[in-house]
Amino acid sequence: MDRREFLKCSLSGYSLCLLPGISAAGNFFPGSPQMGARLSRVEARYYRQLPDREIRCDLCPRFCQLGDRERGFCGVRENQGGKYYTLVYGQAASLNVDPIEKKPFFHFLPGSETFSLATAGCNLNCRFCQNWEISQMRPEQVKSVSLPPEALVTSCERYDCPVIAYTYTEPVVFFEYMYDSSLLARKKGIRNVVVTAGYINPEPLADLLRVVDAVKVDLKAFNQNFYSEYVRGELQPVLQAIKQIARSGSWLEIVYLVIPTLNDNPTEIRDMCRYLKNEIGPDFPVHFSRFHPMYLIKNLPPTPLSTLEKLREVALEEGLHYIYVGNVPGHPGENTYCPKCGKLIIERYGYVIRKKELSGNKCRYCGQVIAGVWS
Amino acid sequence: MSKARVVIVTSSRNFSDINRPDPGIILTMLKKGLEALSGAARAEEALREWFRPGETVGLKVNTIGRRALSTSPETALTLGLWLGQTVGREENVIIWDRTDEELKEAGYRISTSPGSLKIFGTNNRRAGYQSEPTAHRHLGSLFSRIQAELIQASISLALLKDHGLAGVTAGLKNYFGAIHNPNKYHDSNCNPYIAELFETEPIRRKHRLTILDALRVQYHRGPAYHPQWLAASRKFIFSLDPVAADTVGWKIIEELRAKKGLPSLKEEGRAPGYLLTAEKLNLGQARLENIEIIEEEV
Ligand code: SF4
Ligand SMILES: [Zn+2]
Ligand SMILES: [Zn+2]
Repeated sequence: MDRREFLKCSLSGYSLCLLPGISAAGNFFPGSPQMGARLSRVEARYYRQLPDREIRCDLCPRFCQLGDRERGFCGVRENQGGKYYTLVYGQAASLNVDPIEKKPFFHFLPGSETFSLATAGCNLNCRFCQNWEISQMRPEQVKSVSLPPEALVTSCERYDCPVIAYTYTEPVVFFEYMYDSSLLARKKGIRNVVVTAGYINPEPLADLLRVVDAVKVDLKAFNQNFYSEYVRGELQPVLQAIKQIARSGSWLEIVYLVIPTLNDNPTEIRDMCRYLKNEIGPDFPVHFSRFHPMYLIKNLPPTPLSTLEKLREVALEEGLHYIYVGNVPGHPGENTYCPKCGKLIIERYGYVIRKKELSGNKCRYCGQVIAGVWS
Repeated sequence: MSKARVVIVTSSRNFSDINRPDPGIILTMLKKGLEALSGAARAEEALREWFRPGETVGLKVNTIGRRALSTSPETALTLGLWLGQTVGREENVIIWDRTDEELKEAGYRISTSPGSLKIFGTNNRRAGYQSEPTAHRHLGSLFSRIQAELIQASISLALLKDHGLAGVTAGLKNYFGAIHNPNKYHDSNCNPYIAELFETEPIRRKHRLTILDALRVQYHRGPAYHPQWLAASRKFIFSLDPVAADTVGWKIIEELRAKKGLPSLKEEGRAPGYLLTAEKLNLGQARLENIEIIEEEV
């Protein structure tokens, strides 16, 4: 398969594209039975052994405590005889070359292509998940290819991508695979970016931040009720993670998926923007993204444009510098404007950069430093 | 309100090997249990009343614990063959769980040939999961095609065990094996998830009978296998009320725990609250005072 075919194949969403020299492991997807999926058996990190062959996983705020033969909430880690294993090390269930704007990162190497991958599994259970066919599955329930860290980095080089993106599902649950790959990629001059819901404990996050260059966090709402009802997680650890990333020196962008009637209250979003400005400053971008009915929430309409525009206004009023409207190709809210002179400095259409008026990291018109990683 | 009936049949005979129980003894126990449950003179009459000839009946077994701790194949096969021959044809009975591999490791032989009793997992070529999720209250899951499409009537032929999170795993929780993502429903003592799952259409409409395999009961540190806390109870528990069956199962586990000086499940903060949730959803009786327990010995 040449590169064009590969990219074309990528357009079919998370459906799997097989790279040359990489063989498929399983052939199961929902509705079709499984055949011989491969599970890795690499010892997990961040867990402790308890009496009677039980373990406690310390990777994410769920702290799953499990007996022998049991799996955590994420479905991709298993206690086998008192030792904890990741079942998805080197098992890519989705593999594509995507523009970095699709993640989205708007202030990190604009226009770059990312070698993007995910394994099965997630430590949350969002009722509006856009990738549920892999995120809400166990590894033996999805197709995957064996792509250990070395092969991943080699493939990324072969496809000439300057960035690897750990994305689509929830990279926290394939931490070991992501960490080892990032370390290797970094040695080859490849950058690593992570797309996550930020549901991870401080210690593993600190380790991760030493090997990755940027993190996009999906902040799903600014109230615990929403997290309980629609996400099955907690808000506080996510806010902690956001602060930790912002203070680490890694680049951070935040995406807020706006779901009509469920998390679109402007007052609450104003509170959120105040909180963010206080805690991490005005310079990390926030994207308000349009929701499309999916998975278990099919009874709500796509987010009205007016809602997205209103929330963008609220955030700008609160003094945040870079506020975007997401999933609405062609909307002026996709562009970057200089926070000082107000001029359009990066023009986008969907994932395409049309114009870039930066010199180095500064606004070409007024010299204002534009926060981000530009080279 | 009439009481729910639960029958406990204990074998007075010593199994020569409790891990491989004698099918003859099992059949005697099953017959006794169903007769006491139905009040019929012969258990076969009861079976013919509860199941119709053309129906395919699923026996959902629990094989997570491999050979050490699963619904015993001897029990499932004895029941499956007898039920098939009594009501219709044995090929209309499917003994099933999540995967062929788990079934095999528990001592079952996969069988899909026409004309004979079927034994296979959801991951078998002929089954799989449905492609569209079923959303119900707090749940969102893909159902096994076996439960949702291939069978018309269902028996939860579960194992009775202590469960570190749910408190007790028995007939209701057995159906966690009918969805693709049970790992998502173990928080807050699996409550309300176990009850809500039973309430879904593919289960509630098809479920006819609970039989708990309590030949051996893991009464502590379950659901994993720990031989030091395994009792050779030599019992089966029968009920048409899925909640009452598990409530009595809970009582048996508490009795075993008390005998060994272990704290009660409530004291350990893991009383199976999903039983009361199930009662609130009108799925059955979760209070012992509303349950008539009949004890038999064979
Ligand atoms: S990473 Fe998985 S196993 Fe570990 S605590 Fe989180 S959900 Fe549980
Ligand atoms: Zn400027
Ligand atoms: Zn379970």
